Amino acid sequence: MKQLPFADPGKPDTRSPTRFLLWVGRLQLGTLLLGMTFGIIWMLAQALLPWVLGRAVDEGIATGDSRALLAWAAALFGLGVVQAVAGTLRHRVAVSNWLQAGFRMIQVVAHHAALTGPAIRTRLTTGEVVATVSNDALRAGGAFDITARLAGAIASYFVVAAILVSTSTLLGLVVLLGVPVLVGSLSLVIRPLQERQREQREQVGRLTAVGADTVAGLRVLRGIGGERVFLDRYRRRSEEVRRAGVRVALPQSTLDSAQVLLPGIFIVIVTWLGARLAIQGRISPGELVAFYGYAAFLVIPLRVAAEAVDKVTRALVGAQRMLEILRIDPLVGDPRTPAAEPQQGAVLEDAQSGLVVDPGLLTCVVTPSADEGARIADRLGRFADDGRVTLGGVPVAALAVGTMRCRVVVSETDPLLFAGPLREELDPWGRASDEQLLEAIAVANAEDVLDSLPEGLDGHMEERGRSFSGGQRQRLVLARALLADAEILVLVEPTSAVDAHTEARIARRLHEARRGRTTVVMTGSPLVLDQADRVVFIADGRVAATGTHRELLRSSPAYRFAVTREDAA
Amino acid sequence: MTDRLPIAAGPEVRRDAAALLRDYRRSLAVVLGLNALAAVAGLVGPFLLGELVEAVEQGTTTAYVDRLIGVLVASVLAQTVLTWFARRSSFVLSEHVFARLREDFMRQVLALPLSVVERAGTGDLVSRMTADVDTLARTVRFAIPETLISAVTVLLTVVAAVVVSPITALSCVVGLPAILIGTRWYLRRAPEGYLWERAAYATMTGTVGETVDGGRTVDALGLGRRRVERIDADLADAFRAESRTLYLRTVLFPTVEIAYVLPVAVTLVWGGWLVSAGHASIGEVTTVALYVQQLADPVDRLISWLDEIQVGATSFARLVGVTKVPDDRAATGEEPEHERLRASDVRYAYVQDRDVLHGLDLDLEPGERIAVVGPSGAGKSTLGRLLAGIHPPRTGRVEVGDVRLVDLKLETLRQEVALVTQEQHVFVGTIADNLRLARVDSSDEDLRAALEAVDARPWFEALPHGLETVVGAGGHPLSPSQQQQVALARLVLADPHTLVLDEATSLLDPRAARHLERSLASVLDGRTVVAIAHRLQTAHDADRVAVVEDGRLTELGTHDELVEHEGSYAALWESWHGGRSTDGD
Repeated sequence: MKQLPFADPGKPDTRSPTRFLLWVGRLQLGTLLLGMTFGIIWMLAQALLPWVLGRAVDEGIATGDSRALLAWAAALFGLGVVQAVAGTLRHRVAVSNWLQAGFRMIQVVAHHAALTGPAIRTRLTTGEVVATVSNDALRAGGAFDITARLAGAIASYFVVAAILVSTSTLLGLVVLLGVPVLVGSLSLVIRPLQERQREQREQVGRLTAVGADTVAGLRVLRGIGGERVFLDRYRRRSEEVRRAGVRVALPQSTLDSAQVLLPGIFIVIVTWLGARLAIQGRISPGELVAFYGYAAFLVIPLRVAAEAVDKVTRALVGAQRMLEILRIDPLVGDPRTPAAEPQQGAVLEDAQSGLVVDPGLLTCVVTPSADEGARIADRLGRFADDGRVTLGGVPVAALAVGTMRCRVVVSETDPLLFAGPLREELDPWGRASDEQLLEAIAVANAEDVLDSLPEGLDGHMEERGRSFSGGQRQRLVLARALLADAEILVLVEPTSAVDAHTEARIARRLHEARRGRTTVVMTGSPLVLDQADRVVFIADGRVAATGTHRELLRSSPAYRFAVTREDAA
Repeated sequence: MTDRLPIAAGPEVRRDAAALLRDYRRSLAVVLGLNALAAVAGLVGPFLLGELVEAVEQGTTTAYVDRLIGVLVASVLAQTVLTWFARRSSFVLSEHVFARLREDFMRQVLALPLSVVERAGTGDLVSRMTADVDTLARTVRFAIPETLISAVTVLLTVVAAVVVSPITALSCVVGLPAILIGTRWYLRRAPEGYLWERAAYATMTGTVGETVDGGRTVDALGLGRRRVERIDADLADAFRAESRTLYLRTVLFPTVEIAYVLPVAVTLVWGGWLVSAGHASIGEVTTVALYVQQLADPVDRLISWLDEIQVGATSFARLVGVTKVPDDRAATGEEPEHERLRASDVRYAYVQDRDVLHGLDLDLEPGERIAVVGPSGAGKSTLGRLLAGIHPPRTGRVEVGDVRLVDLKLETLRQEVALVTQEQHVFVGTIADNLRLARVDSSDEDLRAALEAVDARPWFEALPHGLETVVGAGGHPLSPSQQQQVALARLVLADPHTLVLDEATSLLDPRAARHLERSLASVLDGRTVVAIAHRLQTAHDADRVAVVEDGRLTELGTHDELVEHEGSYAALWESWHGGRSTDGD
């Protein structure tokens, strides 16, 4: 089986869902053809079993010829072995087809999502993206899995029809025309079933959401009350889901009984016609047995055909959703010809507010609201193209995005921690030594987090770091930002969730650790401001005052009010 | 600090499952009976074909053939109708059973002891509520009915073969050893493999989810390529799991498939000999051969659903496990005589022999506002949980009105003291739903007053549907500070005389937090408030400040007293307030 995932899943054809699926198929054409070959062998072996059974009855049992009987029984068993072996190979190749297609689609979509940054969230929710990657991609892979069986189904349908036509034109025609009619009538039942199943799935999804929501807020419910109300609410939803399930039971049992009735009618007709031919002596008793067997066998290709229609339909729907993600572009793109990179130690300047970031200093920026600080940080880091920000005199919009991300690292208000070993998640670039890691952790005063993990730096951090408290996460995020080792580091409210003791300690250590390098901190905390080389106070969107914390406390009543909340007096 | 919730052991799981089946035994009997009848109707076809072959062999008339075909038509119709009723009753029953399972689970979760909820966190419970309930849905709705139906069909088919010709039917058994050995081998390994698959895909889903959620972080830190590698690594694990289960099936499939066809061949040879020896008729042999061939389908379904049942059983064990959590308190029936909360000589350890609080005393004056400050890890939050009656102290007492908090009924405790942490939750539902949980009989007026008390009026009045505005995931978005206000409004409604605020305002914009704290102060007037806070302004506004360091109460007094005392609090205050710089790391 082909090793997965692909080293390079390739560049998809995003013009239409059909083209997208064809692109996937072309890249695994060999496996698809191999699967079809095994599928045909496997299904023909099954289709021929009734024929062998009939010959065994005629030439072995009816005549009492024990040698012929043994030979036919051996042939039957041999056919069974062929069917088993080809069936297993067919299954292996089909799974490979499914995985190749599914993984390739997961890879192109998930990779695109990872490389598009925050743009995705402006168009889709995380839940939608996750559902597309985890459900739609693998489900669409089903369309490739079914090709093997579908090929076998089509081949065996014609072979059986040919055998019957050669015996009786009427019988042959009954089969040739009957099977498509049956497939068609089954789809009549399947459609309302799928409709109600979809309804039920939605109801179940809502119930699961209510359940997860209730459990996620369990602390509140157990702490303050309301369990009764929430249990009743869940029960009501649960009853709705049950009723939806019962509604599904109706078309579902109709489908199940139709799958008894329709092939049953078919078997009756074939057997009846066959019996009449047998009485007339035109076919032998063994052939009658074989006819009965063919009619029973044809149920299989019939179901495969119905399944194939369903899977291809789902694949197209899934492909459409995948394309929605693939068509999203990053928020900021590279200029066509990026400008020459400014020298190290260049001055970063925001013309809109008048903020000038001098190299080598710890600059704190005080804004009337936290949001405004975040907006300035966004401009400085080029997360939006509308600013008039320059680095060493060069407009940042003229620089390649990658260059900017290397030189200016912005740690925003609420950054995410990712699951993985602490070492890798604090230093995803893999450049820091253990000493540097421990130093960054010490600066962020996150030693307690390290102590709480028995394996220390090799300890595992859960998804989004959710096993840690808000304060712990914030300190880890700070350690990671420090390890980014940026020429210019911009931190937005890096200590808003830690206590005063710790905050004072972090501020002092941060100043020490970034000595001689450029650091910008958006903050309103006096404990941090006290450590700044320079404090820039922004009012009404413009720089209103500049100096040290203590100077500004003395000279600017507005500043004093902003940071200590004491009335200007 | 998170403890895992228990998972039920084998005997407990079996006991609970048996009890469940007993409760539904009548419906279950109907389902099985109908399915058995449908299976019997399905056995008529091969029998009639045997008769036909026999008749053709002996020479017969069209009329006789037509009569047999008439019976065949009747049997097909009967099987159709019976299948319809059988399936329907089975689907309806499983929907009932499954609904009861999930509702029972929810009831038990909502009754989990306070200390367990605080310590276990909600991640494990959420995964039980979603992933395990989903898995069980598949087991209860499909795997169990299909298994029962297949088992009944297999049994009846064998019985029919024996009835037609006991001696010919002996050939059934030749496939049995291979099927038993193969299936046993497979079932011992399969659940582990399928659970691995599920876990691998869940990890991959988690990775994609956090990548998308953290799109900004990924972009800012240039982590795109690394996220891609992580996704591929998760897929590689999923692929290994897929390869493992594929290997298992590669062994199982040919084994059982050959075991299906072998008895057919043997039936022919054995039957042929019996016919020539005069022990059986050609029709009987035909019928038995068809029965044996027909067995393959239900046996196959039986095997393929058995591993689902095993996987379902592990999920069931995780759901049942929640019922095995012992209660953490037994109310003694004592009622507090006054509202004074007092902690005396309390020690507490999460891990044995490692106390995080070392004999701490704290007397709260009714109506006072006390701020607890100290470095992280000093034991502030633990103290808060003890004061809120969530954990009993290891030694010492925490009591209100001379009754230990953990001796109170939960309902009584809630009227005495409440804990608010920074982890807030806004439920999916209307604002009114979110508030009324604190006091079920509140009028809309009460709710509005509570929102006003926490200063939520400005944004609340701008909501599209007022109290009926749907909030929470997928609803009208609320900012973190608005969510916090909702949480505080709940407290106003719950109306306990003592509140423990554990960094309840810490995730807010500092400017908003102070605003909120001030407006809250007027609401909290008359209540005893323990504010575990990291903003010194909170301490400044409090009646008394308690400094907790290293599990001990090191300083206690008014703000002014502590500033004069020139201890660690004074040093911090100086720095914050712009006095002389601090040292002493």
